[in-house]
Parts: sequence; C-alpha cells; structure tokens
Amino acid sequence: MYYIDLAVSGLSFGCMYAMMAVGLTLVYGLLRILHVAHAAIFALGAYITVLVANASGSVGFGLLAAIAVTPLFGMAVYRLLYEPLLSYRPDVPMIASVGLLVLMQDAFRIAFGEQGVTFQHNAYAFRIFDIAGVRVNAVQIAMLVCAIVVFAGLHFFTTHTRIGIGWRATVSRPRIATSFGVDAVRVRYLNFAIGSALAALAGGLVGLLNNLVDPVIGYVVSYKALAIIVLGGLGSVRGTLIASLVLGMVESYGTIFVGTWLNRDAIAFVALIALLMIRPQGFSGARTA
Amino acid sequence: MNPALQLNDVAVSFGGVRAVDGVTISIAANEFVGLIGPNGAGKTTLVGIVSGKIRPDRGRIMLEGKDVTGRPTAARVRQGLALTHQMVRPFREMTVLDNVALAAGYRRTSSPLRALLHLDKRPESERARAIIRRVGLGGTEGKLAGALPLGQMKRLEVARALALEPQVILLDEPLAGLNQVEAAAQVDTIAALHAEGITILLIEHNLEEVMRNCRRLIVMNEGRVIADGAPDVAMADASVLEAYVGKGPGQHARH
Amino acid sequence: MSAYGISLLSVVGLNVILAVSLNMISGFCGQISLGHGAFYGAGAYAAALALIAGAGVAAALICGSAAAAILGTIVGFASLRVRSDFLAVTTIGVSFLFTGFVRKQAWLGGEMGISNIPGSGFGAMGNMIMILLFAAVTVAFSFYIGRSWMGFAFRAVSQDEDAAKTLGVNVGAYKLAAFAIGTALAGLAGALYAFFTQFITADTFDFILSVMLMAMVVIGGVGSTAGVVIAAILLTLLPEAIRFVNNYRLLVFGGLLVLVIRLAPGGIAGLARRLAWSTAKQ
Repeated sequence: MYYIDLAVSGLSFGCMYAMMAVGLTLVYGLLRILHVAHAAIFALGAYITVLVANASGSVGFGLLAAIAVTPLFGMAVYRLLYEPLLSYRPDVPMIASVGLLVLMQDAFRIAFGEQGVTFQHNAYAFRIFDIAGVRVNAVQIAMLVCAIVVFAGLHFFTTHTRIGIGWRATVSRPRIATSFGVDAVRVRYLNFAIGSALAALAGGLVGLLNNLVDPVIGYVVSYKALAIIVLGGLGSVRGTLIASLVLGMVESYGTIFVGTWLNRDAIAFVALIALLMIRPQGFSGARTA
Repeated sequence: MNPALQLNDVAVSFGGVRAVDGVTISIAANEFVGLIGPNGAGKTTLVGIVSGKIRPDRGRIMLEGKDVTGRPTAARVRQGLALTHQMVRPFREMTVLDNVALAAGYRRTSSPLRALLHLDKRPESERARAIIRRVGLGGTEGKLAGALPLGQMKRLEVARALALEPQVILLDEPLAGLNQVEAAAQVDTIAALHAEGITILLIEHNLEEVMRNCRRLIVMNEGRVIADGAPDVAMADASVLEAYVGKGPGQHARH
Repeated sequence: MSAYGISLLSVVGLNVILAVSLNMISGFCGQISLGHGAFYGAGAYAAALALIAGAGVAAALICGSAAAAILGTIVGFASLRVRSDFLAVTTIGVSFLFTGFVRKQAWLGGEMGISNIPGSGFGAMGNMIMILLFAAVTVAFSFYIGRSWMGFAFRAVSQDEDAAKTLGVNVGAYKLAAFAIGTALAGLAGALYAFFTQFITADTFDFILSVMLMAMVVIGGVGSTAGVVIAAILLTLLPEAIRFVNNYRLLVFGGLLVLVIRLAPGGIAGLARRLAWSTAKQ
C-alpha cells in the first residue's frame, strides 16, 4: 500500500506542477522568455489564498480571490518588465525576472513574516479519505480534480472558441496567426492572465496541503517548473502535462533511492542539467519558429 | 598543385529533402568562380558545408589539399578560408576599426593563452586601416558597425575577410541589397582581390554583375551541378535555362 | 582600526574579487552564470579541508582555486551546449546542487558546516591585508584582460559567436578559458574566506549569493571592471550604512536589479559613459 500512497502523492504533485508550469511554457512559447518570476506569482496566489481564507473563513473564497487577482499582476509584469525588454538578448529579461522573484520573495518575508502564515479554518488538509485501502488527502483529490477540469477546459477553449484558437495559433505559428487577424498583443495578455491564474491555484492548493504558506515556496518550484517545461518541450502544453506527471512520480518514488546523496528537490535539477547537456533542444514538443 | 578548394561528392539531406545531392567541384588557385542557381537550388546549403556550419552526410571538403571535412569553421578559417555572410554579421557594438582589426589579429587569437599574452594592437590596427581604405570605408573607422548603412556593412564583411589573409574567399551574395553604384564598387573591390591572387567563389543572384567578372560559372539546381564552364557556354546550356525559367524555349533568365 | 572596520573591509575585498571574476565570465565573455556562489563555496570547502589536513596558507589558496576551477571548467562545458538563458538555468541548477549536495555530506560537515578551521596565522588585520592585496591583483588582472587580445576575442564571442568563428576565433576554447579563470578567482576568494571566518556553512554560498553577485555585475555595468568594482563596494557597504537596506537586503538587491535592467541597462558604467558623452558635447 505504501507504493500506492507514493503514487497518489506523485500524481497529485504532478497535477500541481502541471498547473504551475503550463503558464511558464506558454510564455516561453510566445515570447521566448524564461519567466522565472512566475514562481513569485505562484507564491502570491498562495498568500492571497491563505490571507483571504483566514479573513473570510472560507477556503474557497481564498482560492477564488487568488485566481481573480493574480492575472492582473501577471499582465502587469508583462507590460512593465518584459515588453520593453523584448529586443534584448534572451538572458536580459530572464535576469530581470530572477531579480523580481528575489524581490517578491523577500517582500513576502517582510510583510508576512519569516515563519509564514497558516490556515485557520483549514479542515481539508486533515481530512483523509480511505479509498479501497489507500489513504488520500482531500487536498490531493482537489489537485487532481482541478487539474482535470483545468486541462479539459483549456483544451476545449483552445479548440472551440475563437479566442482560444487564436491563442493556440499565436503560440505555434505567430506569423500566420497575425495574418489571420489575431491580435498578438491581446493574446500575450491573455497568456499571462491565464497562466498566472493557474499558478495561483496551484500555489493555493500547495498551501492548503501543507497548511502553511511561507516565503520560500517560490524558489524550488520555480526551478522544477523550468525543468518541466524543457523536458516537455518548450511551448507544448501536452508535453508539459506529461513531464509534470512524470516528475511528480519520479520524485515520489525517487526518494527511496537517492535519499542519501541528494534531497528530493535535487532530482529535478539533475534531470534538467542532464537533459540540457544531452539534448539541448529538449525532447518532444512544439519547437516553434 | 593542389586545388584551392575541392569538394568531392558532397551531399546532405534535411528531413528527407536532398538539399545538396552529390556535388563535386574543383577550384584551382586564383580562379574567379561564380555560383548561381534559382532559389532552392542548394547554394546556401553548399556554402554552409564549405564554411563548416553544416555537416554533410557524405563527401569530403579540401582546402589546398588538406582535408577539412568535419573541422569547425574557425579551424577552416585558419587554414586559409574566409567568408562573407549573406545576412551581414558585423559586431554591432564594436567600431569598424575593431571589427577589421580583430580579423587582422587572427594570429593573436589563435588560442586563449596566446591572446592573453598579447596586448599590443597597433600593427593590426594599422593593417586594418589600410584595408578599410581599400574597400572604400575610409572615414568610418570610429563608427559603431551596427550604425552603418547596408552598403557599408557589406563592404565591412569583405574588409574582414581580406584581413584574414586568406587563400580562398567565399562571398555569399555580397551584392544583395545594394544599388547599382554600390554594387559596381563592390564588384571592383572583389576584382581587385582576385588580381592579388586570391581565389574567389562568388554566390550571387545578380547575374549580370556575376557574368561580367567571373571566368567560370557553376550552375546548381535541385542540389546538383548542372553546368560548369565559361559563362557564355554555361548560360547557353538548355538545362540552365530550364532551371531558371521552367520548361520553355529561348528566354533569357532575367533578374 | 576597529575589529568591525577590519571585518567590513575584508568582506568588501572578497566581494570585489567575486564580482570582478564573475564579470570576466558573464561580462567580458557574455556567458551568464547564476551559480558563482557554488565556485566560491567549492574553494572555501577545499581550502578548509586542506587547512584541517595541515596544509599551509599557500597550499590552501591553491587548493581552493584549483577545486573551483575544475568545477568551473566542467560547468563551462555547459556553455558550449546551450544558449545564454538556458546556460543561466543550468548554472542556477549548479548552485542548488552544490548546496544540496554539501548539506548531505557528513565529510563536508553536512548541515553544520565546518568549524574550527585553522587560521592563517596573520591575524585579522593580516587577513584583511591579504584579501585586499588579492583584490587589487584581481582588479589589475581584469583590466589587463580587458585590454588584451583575450578581452578582444571575449567581446566578439559575447556579441556574436558565429561571426567570431568566421574570424577564426575558437569560441569553445575562449568560453572555457573565461570559466576557468573566473571560477579560479572565485575559489581563491573562497579560500580567503575560510581564513577570514574559520567557519563555513553551505548556506553562505547559496543561489541568493549568486543572484547578488550578478546584481553587482549588472548594476556596475556588464563588462566594465571599474563599474563592477564600484558596484561591489557600494552594495557591500550600503547594507552596513543604511539599516533599512540591511533588513530588506534581498528586496533592495532584487529591486535594483530589476530597475537597472529596465531603466539603465548599462549600469553605472553606462551612466558614466552617457554623462561623459553629454558633457563632451557641450
């Protein structure tokens, strides 16, 4: 049963990684920028969730607030930071993004304390279901459900709505898309908005799972998200989804083996470095023009 | 006497398409050879193979008898090959003088250690100034290369190639984007290089200029060489006309 | 001079060596490294182990430099494979891997670090002078490289690798040289640090430090030795002088990094150049 517990854990983490990373891969696909500060948006989402949940008494309200507010922030980051830097070599906006991440994480520390904030009305983290002998946490179920809803929704959106199709086209075939009248700038804002909302949701769920939101939750996730998007193929949503689940599972089972040499988080780093060295152009996925 | 540049049965495919399909060319020292062909003929790919940017699936490339197949671009440059790019690539944030001086200092930069041990840039700068005047860029030495108009950038490309003291210069569309006057001046510069003994391989779309100056014309189409000889002979070849114009008699290819 | 003054100047000296050496890699040669802290750390740990094993000052310095340079050259190979922003990502990974690895190794002190490292025998003042001397040498060396043909080739590699190749520059060799030299100096700083504090932990050499060092390079002006020295001095003294900055260190550094890139990408050096230009115009 232990192995199935690991599978559940790996799967739920994988779902969370997927929601976090999809925004990152789409920004790269569109702008060729590694939006490292995306992790700060993830953290912002977590903080908004816990603060609003504590203030209002409802976790659901907290999550909704996070999903509603972070897109504005994400779009602001694009407009104020990235847009003016698009003509520079790619490491320039990336370093600026790193600076923003560091800045925000410290801002969280200063504003909300080094120890972080805990949920006051979080019944979920401790509500455990026993399904056919497997112990599953309510938040893990929520992660799985959210991921399914989100990705199904994204799929529908990008195949059946005009805006969504335009978005998909702009990511994979920018020049053709503009000649079809798709407004590239609006697509960018949409991209940041949706990506940020999803990251916020992931952040809120992680906060719920740990019953704690502290100033460092951004860093490690940021790196893992980078590993995931490279593994999954930059710009490819499907690839990101697969890579996320794979990473979640590998981390979960991997701790059995590598515990003495490296910690769990290092698995992602090693995988990413190895991948970049062996096959710099990454694996599967939409290598856009 | 080894040929200056020799390609033996060179071929490369990309995704199933044979971009270069078994090309064998032998260019003797001090020849002035033009390479032409319609779009998609494989000229650019061939240039990439000669320069070292593209690795052929088969075949050998030889410079002055030395096999350079598989060797990187920088090594081929040190072996006597210089090239200019179709899309100009000056160091935009360096001055014109520095752009040429760096090329002139190829001996100084042969290894990081050697480069570290040398500080003096005067001899190379002097040589660079002379070359800059020769190609008609006198007066622009202090300007940033990125600020030059296209015509001058193209001349800068030639100046840098010249500063490398090469045996063979590969010129990839050096006239593209130039007006009549600029193109004529560029061609004169190239002709002067030829007069000094350098072997020239010129890839161009601008057929009139090419034909005026080169003694030998190689025509490519669909990855293969379809004609190779004196310009008027090559151009009269029916398959050449066909390549440019499509099946149909008697029209001169015009640009 | 007070103990505090000696300590402060020592840290300034160390940061100058670190920032200037990072500038050689990322500024002169254009290879972005967000993992410089790992090389600093490698040098410190190597030197600490050497000192504990009984080695003298010179041997410890050499050990530190060598360990860092070996690690640095290995990482340098990464720069031959991937482009600038992915190189940055790789070096971030190196930084995390370094701290993650060291924390887990008992022989490296694990979470507790290495303490009671034998001193240099020079005393605090002596250490400071040694650090400042090495800092001066590093700065002089950096000026030298900038003016040499190596600096010339570095600039070409930084701006356009393919064009550099067509000028006969062996781009790979130069990138490795940049990493080797820059990381060796970082390792030297690490050894000096071991003398200075006689106690090291992995956390000192983490990703945050690497970001701060990059901030010094960017704020000073990428590629400018003088600018980077000024930035290193300023950014080390600022938290000491202004309490606010000390408490909100990362906020300020991160903020400055963002602001400089966004508003004054040339850093201090760029501003100085523009100032000189506009006064010259008059």
